[in-house]
Amino acid sequence: MTATFGRFLILASVLVSTTGAFIAYAAGAKRSPEGLKWSQRFAYAFAGLMVLATGVMEYALITHDFSVQYVAHVGSTQVPLWVTIVSLWSSLEGSILFWGFILGIYIAATTWVNRNQHQDYMPFAIGTWLSCGAFFSFLIAGPANPFLSVVPAPLDGPGPNPLLQNHLLMIIHPPMLYLGYVGMTIPFGFAAAALLRGRLGQSFLRPLRASLLLPWVFLTIAIMLGGWWAYEVLGWGGYWAWDPVENASLLPWLTATAALHSAIVMERRGVLKGWTVTLIQASFLLTILGTFMTRSGVFNSVHSFTQSAIGPTILIFLAAVLLFSVLLLAFRIDSLEAEGRIESAVSREGMFLVNNLFFVVFTFTVLVGTVFPLVVEAVKGKQMSVGRPYFDAMVVPVGTALLFLLGVGPALPWGKTNRKEMLRALLPPLVTGAIALVIGYAFGVRNAWTLLTLLFGGYAAHVTFAQMWLPLRQRLKKGDAFAPALIDAQLRRGRRRFGGYVVHAGAVIVFVAIAVSSTMRTQQEVTLTRGQSTTFAGYTVTFTGTEERAEPHRQSTIAHFNISKPGGPSGGGTSGGSSGGGGTLITTMEPRMNQYAAMREPIGTPAVYSTIGRDYYLSIMNLQGEQAGILIINMPMVGWIWGAVLLMGVGGLIALIPARKRTYVVVPESAPTIDDEAIA
Amino acid sequence: MNRTVLIIGIIIVAVIVFVLFAGLGKDPQHIDSPLIGKPAPPFTLKAVNTGQTIDLQSLRGKPVIVNFWATWCVPCYEEHPTLVANARQLPDVQFVGVVFNDTEDKINQFLAARGSAYPTLLDANGKTAIAYGVGGVPETYFINPSGIIVAKFEGPMDSDILRANLAKALR
Repeated sequence: MTATFGRFLILASVLVSTTGAFIAYAAGAKRSPEGLKWSQRFAYAFAGLMVLATGVMEYALITHDFSVQYVAHVGSTQVPLWVTIVSLWSSLEGSILFWGFILGIYIAATTWVNRNQHQDYMPFAIGTWLSCGAFFSFLIAGPANPFLSVVPAPLDGPGPNPLLQNHLLMIIHPPMLYLGYVGMTIPFGFAAAALLRGRLGQSFLRPLRASLLLPWVFLTIAIMLGGWWAYEVLGWGGYWAWDPVENASLLPWLTATAALHSAIVMERRGVLKGWTVTLIQASFLLTILGTFMTRSGVFNSVHSFTQSAIGPTILIFLAAVLLFSVLLLAFRIDSLEAEGRIESAVSREGMFLVNNLFFVVFTFTVLVGTVFPLVVEAVKGKQMSVGRPYFDAMVVPVGTALLFLLGVGPALPWGKTNRKEMLRALLPPLVTGAIALVIGYAFGVRNAWTLLTLLFGGYAAHVTFAQMWLPLRQRLKKGDAFAPALIDAQLRRGRRRFGGYVVHAGAVIVFVAIAVSSTMRTQQEVTLTRGQSTTFAGYTVTFTGTEERAEPHRQSTIAHFNISKPGGPSGGGTSGGSSGGGGTLITTMEPRMNQYAAMREPIGTPAVYSTIGRDYYLSIMNLQGEQAGILIINMPMVGWIWGAVLLMGVGGLIALIPARKRTYVVVPESAPTIDDEAIA
Repeated sequence: MNRTVLIIGIIIVAVIVFVLFAGLGKDPQHIDSPLIGKPAPPFTLKAVNTGQTIDLQSLRGKPVIVNFWATWCVPCYEEHPTLVANARQLPDVQFVGVVFNDTEDKINQFLAARGSAYPTLLDANGKTAIAYGVGGVPETYFINPSGIIVAKFEGPMDSDILRANLAKALR
């Protein structure tokens, strides 16, 4: 019954989205306001059906209705409620349905926000969105149907993939990723609309940029959460493995970041229109490529869903969208003619161009590394894999160059400048860069790339900070009071700009933290018998024993360790009553091995003791009787990455909040040196 | 129309689609079992449904199909009727089910509801599955009359797949 109802909703959404797309394109071609109204209604109807279908699936999951095939695949009466709820996106069919759900909400919300605006572009945009909606509805109705019936219904199911049950981050990482991925459909629709209309006016830049920035924020957070999850759960002590699917999430992020930057030049100088539109299209295409990677079974990855017929279907969609984009660009790119030109290479806009170049190089590097094994297999029939050495060797220089630009770009003024002005802008931040370099050296950094990162990072931090608070300083100089100046200059008028520099500040910290944590990490593998201890990286680790814990969905073996500072008063009474250790007890750590019913191999959960400066990471390699084989990793600054990426997301959100209508904020024109642009 | 964009674009499309298409249908996680051509790891396990103890060594002389499965595995539900039907049609072939990570109660419920035609053994500590290097369920090993593993199949089988693999054991 539930299954039948679900199937009905999906079929209805196929019909609604297809019809809606036709109506919308026709309305665009004929410039029919009535047609636009109808296409809007179809957009809302599509969203309604998707939301309803997802609701039906959640209902089936929560009520353990095993007659619905998806519930039989991922449900279980043995798992906690939160696991049941998030099971929606734990497996192939459900995740595609969830995709449709988010797509529906995005389409409806964007249609509603722009219901009375941009009437020239909206029909084509809605048509493009609903075409994507039609594809995903078709996917849900056919190759990835979660609403098939199982007769007779099984008594119980296996529960979702244990890895997903292993950490609470799994509740937020996939939805964030989908919000980022699916959200790229919206700027893609806007870009397609601009090309179909053959025009990209100033007024349309705002929705275009906002629609790109929102999924960018989600994608940024999602990538970080994925890394954090890998770090907290997988137990190998890293957060990024250049896994094909990690790369798949990074690729659209890189092109979207490039597009956010080129859009600023487009706004300021009226150039790079075709380029920006191409980057936006590439971002969407890369999300589809990423979806293909995860769901076709072609790539070997921790993220892989089981093989299925949806691989070819997504590939056909990818090919169709690629072709659509190429033809659209080929026929219309010349109609988006430049209104201005770039006057000087050594200027802010010049640096934007170089920035774009590096982002594109970065994208190609990662893309080539990701698909190269497939190319080799297709051409030579041999299996191979591209690993960390390639990516590190290629990406580190490009990343360092981007960090350099992150400092130099915003330091340079727009347009032509003379040598003296240029030096005055470029030289002072060198001092901060040098200080960062010296501090790093004093702390023992010897890796050349890391030292370079510190130099550029210090430089960029100086520039970013100066630029971030420039409007406020200028207001104060003019004699304004601090609080109103702060609110008006930073948060009201200069919000986009301020948000952009907050993103930059986060990015600087991320660069430095990645460089330091990856080159300064030390690790040790050791086997301890109960009561024994070892000293590593300033702490004494004492193995105090194990404990078994039974939970409904898993059996866990928890190992207990005391972490203490060596050299303190020996036998301080707090070291767990064991012989080893001594010193002052700092904390206890409990890494564990979890055995899930549906999986034969146990999955470890490492324990992490984080301080501001560093993480102390304990992971169980094996447990046998009284012996524990453990991996201890000492990683400086790694925790900074999560916080800094979050800061980038916050910055993006600040930039995203629409500016107030300028008409009722009567403020004297600010000094001409203030740039009203934002980074995003 | 911008010819450069068109030509470069079409080339990019063609390359990407070709490479991805060539990769379709290949399982990156598939690795051939090193056990093929080697003697099957022996096991002696108790049958859940009949109570008898089965020793793999004693089954020499006829082809044996060892099917690893579990009641929590949905593809195993799909595969079960195929196995039962073939076991009934092929009296000269010994079918053996090995269940691991499971309880006797659940297995008996499963078999009572879905029928059985051959011994189902409980691999209580999973040692047999480890010996065979089982990577997931269902997974089926085909053993020839002299006790050598001749084929392995991952995932649920239909009758055609089952018979094609069985033919290797009869050769």
